[in-house]
Amino acid sequence: MKTVLIIDDASFMRLSLKTMLERNGYKVIGEAENGAVGILKYKELKPDIVTMDITMPELDGIRALKHICNYDPNATVIMITSMGQKTFILEAIKHGAKGFLVKPFKEEHVVETMKKLQI
Amino acid sequence: MASKIGREPMLDMFIFETLQQLEELEQIVISSEKTNGLTESAISEIFRIMHTIKGSSAMMLFNNITSLSHSIEDLFYFIRNDKPQNLDNSELADKVLESVDFIKVEMNKISNDEDVDGDAMSLIEDIKMFLAQLKKDNPAVKIQDEIQIIKKETSQKYYITQSKIQPLVEKNTFKAIILYQSGCEMENIRAFTLIHNLKELTDEIWYNPSDIIDNDSSVDIIKRDGFRVLFKCEKTVREMNSFFEQIPFIEKLELEEVSYEDEIDQFLEKRKIVLEDSIFNIEKAEKNKDSATERDIQIGSTGQSIISVNISKLDKLMDLVGELVISEAMVTQNPDLRNLVLDNFQKSARQLKKITTELQDVVMSIRMVPISTTFLKMNRIVRDMSKRLDKEVKLQLIGEETEVDKNIIDHISDPLMHLIRNSIDHGLESTTKRVASGKSETGVITLEAKNAGGDVLIQVKDDGAGLDREKILKIARSKGLFNKPEKELTDKEVYSFIFLPGFSTNDKVTEFSGRGVGMDVVVKNIQNVGGSVSIDSTPNVGTTITLKIPLTLAIIDGMTIRVGKSRYTIPITNIRESIKVEENSVIKDPNGNEMVFIKEQCYPILRLHRHFKVNTNITDITKGIIIKVEVDDKALCIFADELVGEQLVVVKALPKYIKKIKGVEGCTLMGDGGISLILDIPGFLNNQ
Repeated sequence: MKTVLIIDDASFMRLSLKTMLERNGYKVIGEAENGAVGILKYKELKPDIVTMDITMPELDGIRALKHICNYDPNATVIMITSMGQKTFILEAIKHGAKGFLVKPFKEEHVVETMKKLQI
Repeated sequence: MASKIGREPMLDMFIFETLQQLEELEQIVISSEKTNGLTESAISEIFRIMHTIKGSSAMMLFNNITSLSHSIEDLFYFIRNDKPQNLDNSELADKVLESVDFIKVEMNKISNDEDVDGDAMSLIEDIKMFLAQLKKDNPAVKIQDEIQIIKKETSQKYYITQSKIQPLVEKNTFKAIILYQSGCEMENIRAFTLIHNLKELTDEIWYNPSDIIDNDSSVDIIKRDGFRVLFKCEKTVREMNSFFEQIPFIEKLELEEVSYEDEIDQFLEKRKIVLEDSIFNIEKAEKNKDSATERDIQIGSTGQSIISVNISKLDKLMDLVGELVISEAMVTQNPDLRNLVLDNFQKSARQLKKITTELQDVVMSIRMVPISTTFLKMNRIVRDMSKRLDKEVKLQLIGEETEVDKNIIDHISDPLMHLIRNSIDHGLESTTKRVASGKSETGVITLEAKNAGGDVLIQVKDDGAGLDREKILKIARSKGLFNKPEKELTDKEVYSFIFLPGFSTNDKVTEFSGRGVGMDVVVKNIQNVGGSVSIDSTPNVGTTITLKIPLTLAIIDGMTIRVGKSRYTIPITNIRESIKVEENSVIKDPNGNEMVFIKEQCYPILRLHRHFKVNTNITDITKGIIIKVEVDDKALCIFADELVGEQLVVVKALPKYIKKIKGVEGCTLMGDGGISLILDIPGFLNNQ
């Protein structure tokens, strides 16, 4: 079973994603409230996949993404974004994010993304 | 607000988190108002909170909340980035707080399974107009200090990199037309991702529309006509098909091998100047922040010392620990062990009891939360009332770190709000009157919490006009509320009349109070959690209302007594003393009621065997035991057969199929499996 680390400052979003992922055969092995904790948890838990929110306190998603991709060039990071964060997503893609989901998203979007990216 | 059994955990989480954020938001706004302006971090925080609420509510399809929070988000985005001058902080605060109120009302509906049908349109319009005015007064600074990089459109494609030598391999030309699934959003960015991935296979790529990064209308073109890509690489059609199969959200793909010359004209547009300034700026900003990153990570590692736990899990834990306490008693006090000498067993039993007690303490402490969250909520009430009534009011908080059971916190918030509203509306005089009587212009409301034995005391004090004894007496007289001759009423008793239903000394009814339905509800709410309310006042100096609330509902220290074969438990906190009495200390009053003298004071006797109609051999007043109990200023002597012993008991409510018994507030399981009824001492005293 593929393992997932969810990085998002909103507990509600983390719960939503976790619910959707676990319903589709993924195992959420960790959660983090901001980019800084996210990086630490990535190194500690070595998940197969990371979902990364962009707007977070302490350390935002783009910087955390850069750290993680630097640390592990094979990292699979999916960005979670809102409409209007276009420049951030572009930045994220350039720095190694494998895909992105736009809020509000439905479970089928999550499934589609994971399936197609073969993760 | 209780979490309904069976409600989706996501909904619970949404409600919990959103309410928490709204509280935070309120505090930020109110304290910013006091310091006359929003700091940069306050603006960012408000932006971030509204952004989060927007996202979560959208996921849960509560669109009115989404639209409203979106409009505030836009407003603060502008404030954060453009730093407008002449910002009307008071109006801004009002708009934010109005939005908070709207969302709170909707959240309430969600909690109660009602339709979330609030109409935020006029509020949103207001906010948009406010923003429009701000923009007009602060025309956007032209981007002169941003460096613009001008990049030519077709700079891609035919070049030899320094590291690679162009391989002399036969390349195929492919044309792909991609249509994305509807609803996947940001099709232009998805297209960009596609190109980004394609670049790993080849540099020879052309695409249409080409301005996908900067031109958001490219989204519509892609939606309508599809995203068209022409590229050259040495892969086969089959290989390219699998490449595209790994791209999410593709609704339809047309992929075919073509001839470059035939197709290239479609893809070359007039040379355009593409501004990469937005991306460049992020990079510039990034460089500045990178140095801070290491430090950020240090902060992050010490972050997580608090977790949120579902209340029902805590309830279950408390229940189980309660049962454990009873079971431990059932083992160590088992009748089978009576009269046996069991040293080793006793030693272990003592250890078990020690650990069980400690476990119980820890579990009870988990449910304790500082009262500060409730106190902070009062800031909003004070602010609103003071604005509306045009009175200067300051709220002083003392002892906010005092901890109270989570269950109880939910029940005192509303009463406290009412008491504070009352104090500001009626207790505090108008500014002119205050100054005339030599008081400071600003009225002071003090909220204080402190521990007192097994209770928490919460006091609401105001330095206002105090209660008018005569006025209260007049109304009580007219409503026939006296239960004692008027002359014998102490000041405290007179003041307590205001707690009776329908009592109001107000000549006019304001939108906040005066209807007389507030104070009695406050008292009822407090009594529902086992507490009591008392009031004291000094004319022209002020009024103090004291709420006394037990630390916890579920486990009490009780003294078990026996009457015949039945057992009863009296909360230790109510007991003052227990004695055996002599014949000559007992007298009968004119109505035939028994009274007893203790230390020159006279108390009525309550014979439990008579009250509960229990058979017992011990009816001689000198053969049983008298237990003096007291609540506030009222006292009573209970007559029972004997004392059984003091122990911690887990209070269980009487089963629903038993109607309320006068004088009994619950029951508990004894160590030997028997049942003891817990006496409702305040109830007995009120009926005297």
